[in-house]
Amino acid sequence: MSDSEFTRRDFLVAVAGASVTTWLSASWSDLNAAGTFAASASQQEGWQVLKPDQVRELDAVTAQLVPTDSTPGAREAHVVRFMDRSLATYAKAQRPAFDAALKKLDELVASHYPGATSFAALGDAEQITVLKDWEATDGQTFGTIHGATIVGMFSNPEYGGNYNKVGWKLLGFNDQFSWAPPFGYYDRA
Amino acid sequence: MKRYRPSDEVDFVVVGAGAAGGVMARELSQAGFSVVVLEQGPWLSEKDFKHDEIWINELNGLTNDHELQPNTLRQNESDKAQKRGWASYCRLVGGGSVHFTANFWRFPELEFEQATRFGIPDGSSVADWPIRYADLEPYYTKVEWEVGVSGLAGNPFEPPRSKPYPMPPLPIKSEGVLLERGARKLGLHPWPAPMAIASQPYRGRSGCLACGFCIGFGCEARAKSSTLVTMIPEAVASGRCEIRPLSYVRKVEMGQNGRVSGVTYFDKDRKEVLQRAKAVVLSANGAETPKLLLMSASSAHPQGLANSSGQVGRNIMFNGAGISAAIFEHEINGWKGAVVSRVTWDQYELPKPLGIYGGGGFDFRSAITPIGGGFQSPPGSPRWGRDWKRGLKDNFSKSLSCFGHTTQLPVASNQVDLDPTEKDAWGLPVPRLTFKEHENDGRIQRWFMERGRELLDAAGAVDSFEAFAGPSVGGPHLLGTCRMGRDPKTSVVNSDHRAHDVPNLFIVDGSSFVTSGRGQPTMTIQALAFRAADRITKLAKAGTL
Repeated sequence: MSDSEFTRRDFLVAVAGASVTTWLSASWSDLNAAGTFAASASQQEGWQVLKPDQVRELDAVTAQLVPTDSTPGAREAHVVRFMDRSLATYAKAQRPAFDAALKKLDELVASHYPGATSFAALGDAEQITVLKDWEATDGQTFGTIHGATIVGMFSNPEYGGNYNKVGWKLLGFNDQFSWAPPFGYYDRA
Repeated sequence: MKRYRPSDEVDFVVVGAGAAGGVMARELSQAGFSVVVLEQGPWLSEKDFKHDEIWINELNGLTNDHELQPNTLRQNESDKAQKRGWASYCRLVGGGSVHFTANFWRFPELEFEQATRFGIPDGSSVADWPIRYADLEPYYTKVEWEVGVSGLAGNPFEPPRSKPYPMPPLPIKSEGVLLERGARKLGLHPWPAPMAIASQPYRGRSGCLACGFCIGFGCEARAKSSTLVTMIPEAVASGRCEIRPLSYVRKVEMGQNGRVSGVTYFDKDRKEVLQRAKAVVLSANGAETPKLLLMSASSAHPQGLANSSGQVGRNIMFNGAGISAAIFEHEINGWKGAVVSRVTWDQYELPKPLGIYGGGGFDFRSAITPIGGGFQSPPGSPRWGRDWKRGLKDNFSKSLSCFGHTTQLPVASNQVDLDPTEKDAWGLPVPRLTFKEHENDGRIQRWFMERGRELLDAAGAVDSFEAFAGPSVGGPHLLGTCRMGRDPKTSVVNSDHRAHDVPNLFIVDGSSFVTSGRGQPTMTIQALAFRAADRITKLAKAGTL
């Protein structure tokens, strides 16, 4: 039985399938590595939990999961900053899961591209190959990072991600929290 | 607020300050009785509520924390249960009525007499209720007016009502317009949804601001008609009711002559306190109530309190769901406004030739929160990367789902009991669920999922897909575990909600249900509570408690 069957059933208001669990069910884990940490997250602030090589590796992974194109992606949303803050505070218990995920990523990089120094050092196509294989072969550890990325992208900005509400803007979501009809196209009189 | 000492023998102690407990507190205290309400969770207010998915979903801002209070689950009695959170309940004053979606459907006549009308499916424990719709009708009306429900009378599939709704329906949303479009094409009869949300200022509360965060969230405008902002303040205002939050009851105590004498609970400092009472009302929810009865076993009640029938914890139901989803051409913006604005009830009873027992109703909804939306993508499409991102950007506000709310059959072996080894953070045994869906559940959920997709297509969906057809195991709807009935051998409480085995013990919550309805249990939980309070008041005043 999948996780979704056990979470609040009313949240199964899926647009898209029954895999609508919150990332609770995707246990967080770790990633490893190195990369080209963009000058996106505020550099003045130190890192509380993640080590520099982890930061670089997570930056590369999250930038593939939510890429920057004509609209902002995980980098602009400061998703890695969100991960660090979460792991330092309410998501402390997820640190071992993060470690396990980062270790798994290391192994995948090594098995696909022997001699590669890190995920972040791979080319674009190579990174996508590794991530697709990871998703297909180890949903648990992949889900840890994927889940944290989604949450960091779209959560309330005070947790450190969704910087400048770029995630919400991407969705077209507006946090005004008070509306009057018409709400959408079809209920216009 | 009136305060009592634990040594005071109050008239009633009510366990649980939720949808039912709030009603009991208000009704009994207004009837002149002294009442102490013990609630596991804190007493928050609308000022504490926030539109924050992390707070709600990760930090258990309103709900039980499975780290502190685990559950276990297995499919068969021969299996060892594994740790798994299946009971999700709002753990604060107001209970589930704080975070519910607020669909407030009455159960129609047939719900109460399905065994007689349709027979008992093999392998199920379907039975008639010991009351009929006519017994409950005045109390449904009472819920609508006292708690506050918005709606429009006259739905051809609604049972007879004695009064119109006190407030007009909430404004129609794009989801509602699309349901009307699809339903009419297929010959169904869409109707404004009855919702326990104030559509206009009501009894000192604000009308709905259409913030869009109903499911799972507390209402910052006091427009959602939770007991937190309706029944509880009125109970306190009686001058006879004390609400005691952070009070986790671990045992119902036996006194003399087969009567209960009060309850023992852990206070906020985890110190044990005995609250004495002339009578005890359990409104703790369909998982916590049977757990408490089983934990209250004694020499007089070796199988658990009020459990001579062996039915305590059995017949658990969660409500079924058949869900399809679709993308439309234009913006729906489901993240604005209350969740549901139109429903169809044509299929509450399915045509006999289908060979499916029960029925259900539909709504269109797109209650998509930002994080929730980020996890959703059409089946078979990528969940990350460039294409996923483009799809999410294009479709987040153009998506909705067709939610079919269905019968789930009671089965005697679907049972909550006490896990023999697992303990919670207070050292109490945790509820263990043994559960396997009846085969009818799978068929009915699939039927509603498939018909739902047809409705979406008829409404003009650009793309549609099947999303969920069970199994429905766990969740916030916790029903049937102390069923009501006439026969003490096959039920736990009588139609007055009085335990067959204990004259001064009453059980009033979702556990009293005999059948599941078609989702939307809170309306009936509260109607039962108003009725129970009436009955109990009469018994008490006649000196027969």
